Amino acid sequence: MKSIKLWILTMIAFLGVQSAFAQVRSPLSINVDYSIGQPLGSLKDYTDKTSFRGWRAGIQYQINDQLAVGLRSGYQQFYQRLPREVYPTKSGDISAVQSRSLEVTPILATVQYQLRKPDAAIIPYVGLGVGTVNMLYNKYWGEFTDRDNSWQFAASPEVGINIPFGKGSPLLFNASVQYTYSPYKLQEITSYNVLQANVGLRLHIN
Amino acid sequence: MKRVMLLMSAALGLVVSFSGCGKDPLKDMTDEESRIYVTNRADSVDFTSYKTFSIVDSVAVATNTNNDERALTDYDKKLIADVTQSLQARGYTLVSRAAKPDLAVNLTRIDNTYSAVYYDPGYWSGIGGYFDPFYWGYPGYGYYWPTYYQVYQKERAVSIDIVDLKNPKNNKLVAIWNAMLRGSGVWNISNVDSMVSAVFAQSTYLKANS
Repeated sequence: MKSIKLWILTMIAFLGVQSAFAQVRSPLSINVDYSIGQPLGSLKDYTDKTSFRGWRAGIQYQINDQLAVGLRSGYQQFYQRLPREVYPTKSGDISAVQSRSLEVTPILATVQYQLRKPDAAIIPYVGLGVGTVNMLYNKYWGEFTDRDNSWQFAASPEVGINIPFGKGSPLLFNASVQYTYSPYKLQEITSYNVLQANVGLRLHIN
Repeated sequence: MKRVMLLMSAALGLVVSFSGCGKDPLKDMTDEESRIYVTNRADSVDFTSYKTFSIVDSVAVATNTNNDERALTDYDKKLIADVTQSLQARGYTLVSRAAKPDLAVNLTRIDNTYSAVYYDPGYWSGIGGYFDPFYWGYPGYGYYWPTYYQVYQKERAVSIDIVDLKNPKNNKLVAIWNAMLRGSGVWNISNVDSMVSAVFAQSTYLKANS
């Protein structure tokens, strides 16, 4: 967490120093976003609550004015507690309060295509991330957990906008909507489908 | 516009700091929420074919070092009384163990690491309690759970086991019903009523008359 705070402070500090003379953005940038995730499909059978516990961060290299490639990670936790209920088992029943958690940590290679030139006031973009995702499943029955930790394939298309803090500024505001799919199967979950909203910052560093 | 975006960014920094780490479900869990009540029944057993039962006069306390200690604390007395009343309410008649009861009821408090019985996925199921064959007049007999595996675990728990004394199989008695009380506060006397009524409520088939 410390490193994220440091990033944000650094970004704000950079704004004053660099925006005065930077006309063209340097190719290498880092970004950090706050994320809200909405489970869809069978994931809702496990937990149907919108997740406000998420963030993502990445590093990206601009190949030309419009095309960039990068690497992105993050974290999102879906969580829900269900009141006491009796669940049938193979040979009987179990009465329990269930606390259901799914912690998702992707590692994605990304490609991004910007629909406007870098000197535009608003730069819309489309992107795709492909890679792997760590799924940490914890279904607590009372204080006893059914735990599963696995890595899965994930693909994640995205549309968004970047708004520079002034023309040529190395710091850009980011807002995007992202959909993530993973062929993840465990108990109630037959595949992982999440619609995610992100807001944050991108800073061109070098 | 710039100012608004800067403010949003600052707010974002705060939000990320607070939300970045996962929620631990155990942190805000009450004792009541932590407990699970697991019942298991033997397959293809007609519970109405039994009419009488006898119950232990004290509760076995099983630990990893010692599993033949017996106790009769206030908690144990209440547990014996509650289980007895629940079975009577289901139509079974309490008799002395000398009167050849159809069913034997064993009560065990389990502490620490104990050789336990469960089946996939483990925490939900029955850990067999301690059975004293001499107490029940079946020297050399143990009882068994046909479908369970042996494992080890660490915690406090309570096991209520009902054993069929009518139909021994190859010098063994078969347990036909088990309730496991697991989680925080299972050894607390004030929770006995709610725990015992929960395991009987979820086992409606456990009755002497159809």
